[in-house]
Amino acid sequence: MLEDSGFVDVQIGSAVDTFGGAIGEEKARSFDVYGYAFLARKPG
Amino acid sequence: MNDDLLVDPEELREQVRGKYRDVALAPHGEHHFHTGRPLTVRLGYDQTVVEALPDKAVESFAGVGNPFSLRTLARGEKIVDIGSGAGFDSFIAAGQVTSTGRVVGIDMTEEMLTKSRQTVHDLGLTNVEFLEGLAESIPVADGWADAVISNGVINLCADKRAVFLEIHRVLRPGGTLQFADIANGLPVPPDALRDIDLWTG
Repeated sequence: MLEDSGFVDVQIGSAVDTFGGAIGEEKARSFDVYGYAFLARKPG
Repeated sequence: MNDDLLVDPEELREQVRGKYRDVALAPHGEHHFHTGRPLTVRLGYDQTVVEALPDKAVESFAGVGNPFSLRTLARGEKIVDIGSGAGFDSFIAAGQVTSTGRVVGIDMTEEMLTKSRQTVHDLGLTNVEFLEGLAESIPVADGWADAVISNGVINLCADKRAVFLEIHRVLRPGGTLQFADIANGLPVPPDALRDIDLWTG
């Protein structure tokens, strides 16, 4: 979707266990949900 | 409502406002996600920077990653923070761009805006401001920003393509989008995708 919106050079960082130990952990685990950093550039 | 969207955007916004109103007013209450200083440790923020910030700037932080982990902002850059909440990432950004740069935080929750503006006042910052607005209609001129940051916000927007196009509009040519968000590795059933309670809880 980033590239479809005109961004280039998309990078994705490592997964972070955002919900580990939180109340929402069980639900996050059920869909394999993690946090990620994203970097992209507008051409020009 | 755009028929292609899974949920009604305004209904979702109301639920998100309610959730983050609670985080603003009761940051140490029971939430389904981590908050505050322990979360900044979990997400890998530089603790020497975090420790210098007042509690009001950190306690309601509810991000899902570290938008500065792939790129540190440069001195003098102009930054837009989408869904700035109580301002934690905006204040981190302000430290990186220094006094020659500028940071504009955008949020739709009044209680978060009140909190972030109080911290600006308390810290005496003159290059950071917080404006009411939506990710889909950012109150910033075309091409103003050198970088756009966001943390755990875009996943809460019903029309993500509209958000990315709006970010593209406010970035200058060559500008960067650096954000953190959640992604699922396993498929979510179609019925669950249309369950608005699951978007916020």
